[in-house]
Amino acid sequence: MMYRLVTLLALIMATLSGMPAKAQDGPLRIEITEGVIEPMPFAVPEFVAGGAGGQVAADISNLIAADLAGTGLFRAIPSNAFISRVTSFSSPIQFADWKAVNAQALVTGAVDVDSAGKLVVRFRVWDVFAGQELGSGQQLVGTTDGWRRIAHKIADQVYSRITGEGGYFDSRVVFVSETGPKDKRAKRLAIMDYDGANVTYLTDSASLVLAPRFSPTGDRILYTSYETGFPRIYVLDVQSVSRRVLETQDGAMSFAPRFGPNGRNVVYSLTKGGNTDIYSMDINSGVSQRLTSAPSIETAPSYSPDGSQIVFQSDRTGTSQLYVMGANGGEARRISNGEGLYGTPVWSPRGDLIAFTKQSKRRFHIGVMRTDGSEERLLTASFLDEGPTWSPNGRVIMFTRETQGATGQANLYSVDITGRNLRRVPTAGGASDPAWSPLQ
Amino acid sequence: MNTGNIISGIGHVALIGWALAGPLFRPTPKPFEVTQVTAVSEEEYAAIMNAQRPNDAPTQEVQQPEIQPTVQPDIAAPVVPDAPQESPALDSQADTAPQQQPAPETAQPAAPDATPVPVAPAPETQAQDTTPVLEPPAQDMAALIPQTSLRPKQRPVQRIAPEQVAPPEPDTAVDDVVRQEAAPAESADTPVEEQEATAPEEAATEIVTEAEEAAPVTPSPPTKSVRPKTRPTRTAAAPETQAAPSTPEPDADTGTASGIEDALAAALGGATSEPAQTSAPSGPPLTGGEKDALRLAVQSCWNTGSLSSDALKVTVTVAFDMAENAKPKTETIRLIDSAGGTSGAAQQAYEAARRAIIRCGARGFNLPVEKYASWKTVEMVFNPERMRIK
Repeated sequence: MMYRLVTLLALIMATLSGMPAKAQDGPLRIEITEGVIEPMPFAVPEFVAGGAGGQVAADISNLIAADLAGTGLFRAIPSNAFISRVTSFSSPIQFADWKAVNAQALVTGAVDVDSAGKLVVRFRVWDVFAGQELGSGQQLVGTTDGWRRIAHKIADQVYSRITGEGGYFDSRVVFVSETGPKDKRAKRLAIMDYDGANVTYLTDSASLVLAPRFSPTGDRILYTSYETGFPRIYVLDVQSVSRRVLETQDGAMSFAPRFGPNGRNVVYSLTKGGNTDIYSMDINSGVSQRLTSAPSIETAPSYSPDGSQIVFQSDRTGTSQLYVMGANGGEARRISNGEGLYGTPVWSPRGDLIAFTKQSKRRFHIGVMRTDGSEERLLTASFLDEGPTWSPNGRVIMFTRETQGATGQANLYSVDITGRNLRRVPTAGGASDPAWSPLQ
Repeated sequence: MNTGNIISGIGHVALIGWALAGPLFRPTPKPFEVTQVTAVSEEEYAAIMNAQRPNDAPTQEVQQPEIQPTVQPDIAAPVVPDAPQESPALDSQADTAPQQQPAPETAQPAAPDATPVPVAPAPETQAQDTTPVLEPPAQDMAALIPQTSLRPKQRPVQRIAPEQVAPPEPDTAVDDVVRQEAAPAESADTPVEEQEATAPEEAATEIVTEAEEAAPVTPSPPTKSVRPKTRPTRTAAAPETQAAPSTPEPDADTGTASGIEDALAAALGGATSEPAQTSAPSGPPLTGGEKDALRLAVQSCWNTGSLSSDALKVTVTVAFDMAENAKPKTETIRLIDSAGGTSGAAQQAYEAARRAIIRCGARGFNLPVEKYASWKTVEMVFNPERMRIK
């Protein structure tokens, strides 16, 4: 019976495959529903140097390639595989040569130093197989010391023209720098480029500092300091490195601050009388408003991008879970429903996802879920992962990963929201509590 | 008196006789199997069992392994952390309600990766070293042979009639009323309305069941499969001959028809006098397999890895022309439709689709040239629903 059935099916399949389709009406129509997911090969030949811009031209080219390749979405073709050389910014592109090395995108540019000593960088992006330019050429002018920012900005433009979404290369990260042994670790605030370069320290290591957060414009930083023995929130001006305390209630501990999207409101946790609730404050007037009044611990609040909602963690049901409430408080709805403990939620700048830390089965994870708690996906798993922060375009998450053991150290890692491209962010020593700035 | 004695005597005699001859009337006991047994001692039994074991499997071969109480020397002993062996708390220091006096950071627990566990002893199983050998099947073992599929025989008619009716002519319609075929006779004055011949439904006088049917003639299985003939080749560019117009020929006495037609033709610029041009290809259509091959070729180059999540929501329809060498004409690639996203996202999705067509079509697609008319123009729908970030 089975033999006959298989024979019949085989005959049907053979007949169908060889049978002409029904009469074709109009052009041939094909539907493609599956593709491939792989890094796009691209080439950045060394920018044409004019005047004294020789080394800078090479540095800029290399940094653009490193930025793009670091996303995991692109693959840089090594320069020794290039067939043709770009000797002039205005000369026509030999697309056949770039097709031969399978470069799908090409970035060409030129670097000059003008009479005022300014760096002038021009660039173009090409779709090699289409033989067309993507967008139009641009020119950036800056100081020679700021060549890294120029390169990051060009990489942002290339990324945006190919992927259709904004980049995140010209951004910075504030974090807690950690030095010394684990039982006597010194912590201080530091700020760096997203790729770990240009580290600048903002505080000394005399007191414990925690949880720095950028303002929406990137010019101020909120953080918690134990300078007085009590945790208190401070706001620091990045340019002048001046600071002031934000919450001064006697006998109260304030922590876990985060700016609202308008840059005026700050939401934070305040412990008073043994109870921890969430408050918001107008940073200019200093007027605060209590948003929760449960006897449990409510903390780690984070605004939605439109400022209408707040996601936070609470143990009101006995275990730490995630809840969403209106920006002015009110009834909260629980959004985390999986097994384990949830904490440190952060709303995506796109508004579609919430990143969180999850502890389950003695492992820590960084995960994302929809704002209603659906489609939870865990992106990482290790001994201790925590404290996610979103890239400005909502595509990458940076977090703290701490290794196990007495000699364990905290480091910063980043991962794509697909769960791919997990990589360590290079820092001089230990680092924790990252917070990503907006694009500069 | 005598009668009583006689009866008593007869009764006693009968009782004595039954007592003497009773066993003769007992039923024969049921037969049972008798087995000769011999009682052996424990030592003799052990000797017998040892004699039945193979010579290379000595008694007491498997011994209890000695459990090494210590870990292997090349495995480092677990580090005993100073801090208690606990997992770190979920809440980071940043967002958790802090302690009144923040203590300096304690060393993170260094839970050992694995606790050394002694190797479990092997079970006391008498394992034979000899590999069991399967008996080969007999040469004359019956094999299952697929039966030949018999073509089903048409079931006999089930209509029962008092009289058997002969089967009708093959082209005769079945009707309750038997009519003779009537056709207009050339010599008849009165035309007869045309009607088809009818015949009563075929009937038999008795029901013939399947069991009573004659044994069906087993059709011989096909000895070879007939390869389908190739489709006749056509000249690719040859236009199809237009069928003759089905308009009735104008009557000789109605000369106005041609005049109207001429007027219409003049008004429409001769449009009615020329055959209509259609966009449908004139060549033979592609088979499903040929279409699949084209689809697979393009999707292998459709890289969605560098597309934004917005662009992955856009379905674009891209059209392009192909040269006869099955290479796409890149200058003809155009976006003809998009759905599901912004114009910017559609542009990104279109560029990814265009790259896929150009890259994989650079060497020409595997398409039959005799069907060029069918794939001269192609519309491809790129639907990234399965490729979205989830």
